Amino acid sequence: MMALRELSSLEKALGLKKPNKYSTQGDKKVPVLHSSNGPALVGLVTISTHLVREAKLPKLLGGSAEHKALVQQWMEYRLTKVDGCHKEDIKTILKDLNSYLEDKVYLAGNQFTLADTLMYYGIHHIIVGLAVQEKEKHMNVTRWFDHIQHYPSVRHHLPPVVVLRNRVYTSGYH
Amino acid sequence: MGFGDLKTPGGLKVLNDFLADKSYIEGWVPSQADVAVFDAISSAPSTDLCHALRWYNHIKSFQNKKGSLPGVKKPLGQYGPAGVEDKTAAAGDSKDDDDDMDLFGSDEEEDAEAEKLKEERIAAYAAKKSKKPTLIAKSSILLDVKPWDDETDMAKLEECVRSISMDGLLWGQSKLVPVGYGIKKLQIGCVVEDDKVGTDQLEEQITAFEDYVQSMDVAAFNKI
Repeated sequence: MMALRELSSLEKALGLKKPNKYSTQGDKKVPVLHSSNGPALVGLVTISTHLVREAKLPKLLGGSAEHKALVQQWMEYRLTKVDGCHKEDIKTILKDLNSYLEDKVYLAGNQFTLADTLMYYGIHHIIVGLAVQEKEKHMNVTRWFDHIQHYPSVRHHLPPVVVLRNRVYTSGYH
Repeated sequence: MGFGDLKTPGGLKVLNDFLADKSYIEGWVPSQADVAVFDAISSAPSTDLCHALRWYNHIKSFQNKKGSLPGVKKPLGQYGPAGVEDKTAAAGDSKDDDDDMDLFGSDEEEDAEAEKLKEERIAAYAAKKSKKPTLIAKSSILLDVKPWDDETDMAKLEECVRSISMDGLLWGQSKLVPVGYGIKKLQIGCVVEDDKVGTDQLEEQITAFEDYVQSMDVAAFNKI
């Protein structure tokens, strides 16, 4: 059901006035979009991409070809690595994201894209469960997460996560 | 606030620490705050200052939109962690990186900036001073007004005393204090402005009510 909530949040974030009709299929609860004209669309990334196009905000999918590919890459990461991950995998995910985000403000390029939105939705439950020291250990993920959750209109169905500004460890402890 | 001297490795390190958990200098979108700090940095931070470098590269990508970023450029001392002073020399200064900014009169531009700040502060202080009325010297006086005898109408006496109005005189609380033989004296307090009202004036006016007032004394006199 999380996927459906995400999609409805995304619709709001994109400014889509008419909510679409969704359902889920299979035991993994893969979301399905029922459109009035055309075949049903299956899959979170597929539907999200479609919604972005519907909202006529193609920039959210990336600019150049490489940029677009990067956006796709992170959305795929979300689906394959983050969704349904086991507890042991969480550490790996955080490490991956932390080292990747060391020199980046957004997941793909220098602007906010759908990749950031979906990743934010995807790891929200992970970040919520992190202790303060862990948040500091993965400073870059925390920084990126705090940034995205403050991005106008992104956070609809998810409660804000408090990111402490007074850090326990001073810099140098990476 | 401020980052120390952004032209030195020390200042850049402060910036780096500051940006570890922030994407931008101020708020959640690129703004003139980022432009201000970006312009103060002479070149890209080294790779060991990964957060500063990340921020630098990101802001660099907005170069052609610099002017249209929101906000107003403020002096560098307005940004950054609290408790750190801004010691960066104004841009366009070809100074040595290690220069100790604590030396006096080292940089003309810096002095000019400091001068301006000082002047601004003096002007603000003067304006504040002139707006606020100069402290008026006030005193709180407690008067003992004694009637002729115990049959004197104390209420009327008090009324008479209170009827005395002068510029700078404010009557306060009063009470009747017995002095013996059934006689009560009126103890009344007042606040006077020293320049305008003196105790002798008060005495004159009070004792003018000869029908009720036998004499008046100053029981207490305190400067406020």
